[in-house]
This record gives sequence, structure tokens and C-alpha cells, in this order.
Amino acid sequence: MSVPNATEDLSSEVEVDAFRRLFPVRYFERHLSESIRPDGRPLKEARDTSIFLGSVASANGSALVKIGSTTMLTAIKLEVMTPSLETPDEGCLAIDFHMPAICSPIVRPGRPAEAEPVVSKQLSDTISSSGMIDLKELSLVSGKAAWMAYLDIYCLDADGALFDTALLSAVAALSHVKIPAVAMNDDGKIVLMSDEDGKKQANEQVNKEKRKLTLKSIPLSLTCILHKSYILADPTAEEESIIETHVTIVLDTHGQLVSLYKPGGPVLAYTSAIQDCVALTRQRVKELKSFLDEANSAMEVE
Amino acid sequence: MRQIRAEIGAVSKADGSAIFEMGNTKVIAAVYGPREVQNRSQQMSDQTLVRCEYSMANFSTGDRMRKPKGGDRRSTEISLVIRQTVEACILTHLMPRSQIDIYVQVLQADGGTRSACINAATLAFADAGIPMRDLVTSCSVGYLHSTPLLDLNYVEHSAGGPDVTVGILPKLDKVTLLQMDSKLPIDILENVMQLSTEGCKAIANYIREILLENAKQLEYRRGV
Repeated sequence: MSVPNATEDLSSEVEVDAFRRLFPVRYFERHLSESIRPDGRPLKEARDTSIFLGSVASANGSALVKIGSTTMLTAIKLEVMTPSLETPDEGCLAIDFHMPAICSPIVRPGRPAEAEPVVSKQLSDTISSSGMIDLKELSLVSGKAAWMAYLDIYCLDADGALFDTALLSAVAALSHVKIPAVAMNDDGKIVLMSDEDGKKQANEQVNKEKRKLTLKSIPLSLTCILHKSYILADPTAEEESIIETHVTIVLDTHGQLVSLYKPGGPVLAYTSAIQDCVALTRQRVKELKSFLDEANSAMEVE
Repeated sequence: MRQIRAEIGAVSKADGSAIFEMGNTKVIAAVYGPREVQNRSQQMSDQTLVRCEYSMANFSTGDRMRKPKGGDRRSTEISLVIRQTVEACILTHLMPRSQIDIYVQVLQADGGTRSACINAATLAFADAGIPMRDLVTSCSVGYLHSTPLLDLNYVEHSAGGPDVTVGILPKLDKVTLLQMDSKLPIDILENVMQLSTEGCKAIANYIREILLENAKQLEYRRGV
């Protein structure tokens, strides 16, 4: 495929690529002065988001979420356990975030990525403090049996905004999860009910039918990066590596602030900048909520 | 043979990647390389170093798996098997002093994960543009109730009959991988090998179609 101008274009192309690698900040600033980013987005726009529910058939609930190229797959598995003595009426939620080596050229097998435990802790703190799930809904028989929900979030492609995608994926999976119908048999153990058991009704039904969890207020987030006086929403991995000041804001669907995270960075932001970030997050939360609702209603139609 | 589905280019950050589904078994593979060797002491001056890591997601099997401490022996064994199988077909002498990493993640396991991983790895290598002698395709064959069965799923596998995993280079008609457990009468082995070769060739055809499709797409995007 040779076009007459190929050599000229190629030489200027090579220069651009080299410039991008050698002087990333200057390359970036050249774009910022035109109010655009290297991938063509306006500064305050987030990337295309898509949510697919039910991708893992063997799990009780699952969601695959993509924000731009960042891909996260969450699956929820429910197991029966004995609740602790202090909280006999409550189930338990265990959140685990994994970054396997396939997600990024920087992650090496055997050595967990730097971001992994950070995002993992942030996620569990956010989800438990937001009050989205009432653990009493996970209880089966008070003091004897309750559900333990294992949430496993796997990053399949790490291209920036890991926390946002992981949170959206966890929330989407929780909105999709169906608690299976169970009955208690004569030994006092909980067994999964199949359709035939239902007709026999020999065992005591503890959980009548598959039901979903009621989610009270859903936490959704947006990460912004600050550079001089610019605020950019939803960074890619390249942008995150050049600019070191990140701000992550988590709002819930009622508009309340759940968490604000600014781990240092060279830019010391005035409160006005933080307020701008909060405004951007508010907009984004509305968008995300509509995506979630769409995905859920699409599942219901099926 | 169960329904096969494959997709190239799933992981944008990787040099080459692919998702391969055989029935309910779903596997994602990513190739990074050739790139600089991370551990200088392992660098080979005449060929490339190939590393493989196989891991299963916690939710991939029926009951949630807990990772045993000290490394999972089965994962290590399968990583080794995949590495040796693909090393045989890559032209390693063309890329000395470099490293190629292949990472395979099992998202859903329903029997035949080894084969699905090798097929996904082949596709990922092709996507990364790494020179190979031929595609490596693999499938498993079992023998229950005097019938050879192609592509066992988990239920058939747990029935206790022998399980033979075969990996071949279809055009060259050479066998790179042959693993079997349980007992199998020698005269049946002929039949079983025959069946698996046919299965592997069918998979190879499908993979070739996918690669052609992908190449057409790239052509179209480049505006030729």
C-alpha cells in the first residue's frame, strides 16, 4: 500500500511518535492549549462506557464494564456460612480486586501491581461506607445461616481510571445478582432448591424464589487529573503516567458525597478546583446511572 | 465438538490478544513482546525467552476456588505445558536477546481449558505478528462406553474415562503435545488420535477464517 506522499507522512509521523515518547508533558500541553486531548476528547469528557450484565454464566451475578479500553469483569458467588456471634442477622460481603498480568505491560507475574491493593482497599471502603447493601438482606436463618457474597473483580485491560471502572463493575454486578432459592433439609443444612424440590415442598423453604438485592443509594465515581490550571476528566493510562495529581470523587445517586480522594501530587488545588471536579462528577453520575438502568432493563426483557 | 467462538484484540494494551470459547469454557490470552528481557541473567543470545503464566479466575469453576498457598501446582504444570508447546512453533531464533510473555486467564472453566488456552495463545501470537512455523491447535478426546468422544466438558471428564489432550501443527501434520491420564487400550489409541487430529484441523480452519477476517478489517481501516 504505497501512496505518493507516504514517505513524507511517514517521516512526520515518526517525529510525532518520537516527540510523544521523549517529551510527553510538552506533547500533552500542546494539545491542552487547544482544549483537546491526544485521543481527541474535549477536556471534561469521559470515554465511551458500556456495561454487559451476566457474562459469566456460572456465577450468581456478573458484569463486564468497559470505560474506553479499560475493562473489568466482576463476578459474585454466594456461599452459605454461619454468621458471627455479634451480628447473627447479617451476611457478609468480601471484595477482592485482582490485576492479572494480562492487563498491562507493566504488571509482572508473581509481583502484584502497585495499584492493586490500593484500589482493593478503596473499593471495599467505598462500598461498605456507602450503605448500598443492607447486610441483613443476606441473612437466611438468624444465628445459623447467612450468605457470604464473594465479589471478585478482575482487571482485563488497564488503561487508566481503574477505580472508576472497578466500582461501576462491582455496582453493576450487585444490581444483577440473584440470590438462589434454598431450603433447609432435615439435617438442618441449607441446600439449593431445584425446580423439582419446589413442587414436592417436602423441605422447609427458607428462601422462596430467586430474588435480587435492593440497592439503596448507588455510589459512582469519576477520577480527574489536574495539571496547572486544567482539569481533565477520566484519564487514560498514558495521561495518568504523565500527570501525577489525581482526584477521585465518589457521589451516590442521591447526590451525597461518599468519598473524596486526593493523594498528594505536585498541583496544590484550591477548593474551587475541587468543586469543579465535584460538578463534573455529578454530571457523570447521572450518565452512569442511566447506563446502569438501561443495562438492567435490557436484562429484564430477556 | 462444542461451539467455538474466537475474538482477536480484546486487550488493547497487549501486543496481541484473543478470547477463545469452546462451549462454556472461556479463556483470554495476551501476548507482550518481543520486549526487553526483565531478568538479565536469563537472557539468551541466540533466541528469545518465552514465559507463560496460566491462571484461573476465582469464579471460573462451579465452587469458588481459593488459591492454595505456595503456588498452585496445576497452574504451574499447565503454564509449563503451554510454554513448551508454543515455543516449539515460534521461530525463536529470529528474536534473540528478547522476551515474549504469554499470559492466559481462564474466565469460565467447563473442561478442555488446556486446549482452549493453547488455541487462544496461537491466535494471540498471530495478532501480535510473531513469526510462527504454523498454528498450534489443540483439543481433547475421551473414551467412554467404547466410543471416542471429542472435546469433553467437565461432566464427561469427571465420568472417569481417559482424557487425551493433543496439540498439533495442522499444515505440517506434526504432534507437539500429547498428554493422557487414566488407562487406554493401545488399539483404541489409533482411533482416538485420528479423531483428535480431525478436531484440531477443524479448529485450525476456524482460526484461519478469523485471522483472514481480522486482516480484512485492518486493510479496510487502513484505507487500502
